[in-house]
Amino acid sequence: MILTPEVLAILILNAIFMLFATVVFVLSVKIYLNWDINCTSKAQYKLEKQSFLAATIIKYIFVLKIPLFLFFIFTLDKISNLLTGAMCAAGVVDATEYGTNLIILKIINLYLFASWLKLHSEDMKDKNQPYTKPKFGLFILLFFSFMVEIILEGIMFGSIEIDKMVSCCGSIYSSSASSAVSGIFSLETTTVLTLFYGNYLLIVLFYFFKKRYLFAVANMFFIVVAIVALILFFGTYIYELPSHHCPFCFLQRDYYYVGYLIYGMLFTGTFYGFVVGFINKSDINYQISLLINSVYVIFVTLFVVIYYMKNGVLL
Amino acid sequence: MIELKNITKIYEVNKNNMVTALNNINLTIKEGELVVLKGASGSGKSTILSLIAAISKPTSGEVIVGTNRASKLPDNFASDFRRDNIGFVFQKYNLIPTLSAKDNIILPLVPLNLDVKEIEDKLEMVLRMFHIEHKANQLVKNLSGGEQQRVAIARANINNPKIILADEPTANLDEKLSLHFIEMLKELKRDGKTIIVATHDPLFFDLDIVDRVVEIHQGVLA
Repeated sequence: MILTPEVLAILILNAIFMLFATVVFVLSVKIYLNWDINCTSKAQYKLEKQSFLAATIIKYIFVLKIPLFLFFIFTLDKISNLLTGAMCAAGVVDATEYGTNLIILKIINLYLFASWLKLHSEDMKDKNQPYTKPKFGLFILLFFSFMVEIILEGIMFGSIEIDKMVSCCGSIYSSSASSAVSGIFSLETTTVLTLFYGNYLLIVLFYFFKKRYLFAVANMFFIVVAIVALILFFGTYIYELPSHHCPFCFLQRDYYYVGYLIYGMLFTGTFYGFVVGFINKSDINYQISLLINSVYVIFVTLFVVIYYMKNGVLL
Repeated sequence: MIELKNITKIYEVNKNNMVTALNNINLTIKEGELVVLKGASGSGKSTILSLIAAISKPTSGEVIVGTNRASKLPDNFASDFRRDNIGFVFQKYNLIPTLSAKDNIILPLVPLNLDVKEIEDKLEMVLRMFHIEHKANQLVKNLSGGEQQRVAIARANINNPKIILADEPTANLDEKLSLHFIEMLKELKRDGKTIIVATHDPLFFDLDIVDRVVEIHQGVLA
């Protein structure tokens, strides 16, 4: 068990979130089952008041949970100093069998929480509240995944053994490792780069042809492809080390916290692309997604270009 | 057209203390009508006005104002609806005493981000309409009751709303000033506005400009 102030803060917040989310879950089930905006009964007016309260609570939970993901990564990075062998958050993630699953679940939840917020924001823009039922339905599903995340987080911090030696990112993210991510290193760099730029090109094409579902799907693929490309190829140019593939080290001060910018752009760009698939409103989501994804692609490519210009060779 | 359909409003202080302000009310008010809601204190007159203005929601039933389902509007839309459609004159005027008459009147225009010229034009129009040009720059706390009432009605009209709701508008005025207020109502009616006055002041009941007097007794239309 590890209890640094950051871990304690996360656990206390999780306990508060759990309490409020459970109350809201009960209200959400009631709203989802009985909502009828055209009805003028006493029960419906009561539901309208409750839906406003419930949506406000959910909004604040999710609005806090999104930046808390960055705080979670920051915490992992910070407690890596306490674990023998760990050089960054990667060592802490790998210290227990729950770490990797938790990170994956957190990333999925991040998109789902943001999607809920987007749905809520669209709902509040229309006086007929067309998304009220879907948004509470989505919360009912999200509640379970939210609870799993909180429980898994508690278990993960609880099962970290401070006196146990853990692996450093250099050995976790290498072709000789037996970890879940080592499969990435069996991929050819040219294949991954073709997929990365090809996927981006598809996003651009779907933007111009306004194929919203394809645009959303291409963005979902782009999340995975971009992370693989970052680990396998672009990361080495950020570190300027051909053998260093860690997706966490560039979140550290030594690299000017550039990782937060990289992941922030990747998340925002793909998220707006993803919402195009289920909210058909204006072109603004398309534009934000394309703009941020383009900046992301240019930004990570620049590391390679600058390295080449400085050294005259590629890694 | 304003429609109240099967409106019940219960104020729930707590589980053991519930006050039924309106009980299954049905009321239709046509465009351009001047309707007086007559009733003793606590009969439910003000509740009807607040429901029409979407300030509060019914316990059950529906309020329709023009094309808007006022009772169904979420709070953020209710504010816009009020700003665009309703002018409210309160019994105690609800003016900001530390602002001048002019500043009180233009308050409803603030969220609209109009240019200065447009604001000045609208202000000039209502100042002239309600004869308070000479008091425009004075703090409202230094104005008499009748003048404050005129500022309040000018503020209610600055957005040129289709509906004017007045809640006990003459309760704090003497007879002469009350008659003056009625003169202002005549002008508004001539402009085609729908006016609803909640009052127990007998001055209103036999006026020729009043289209209908609706009596309310303990939350039920008489």
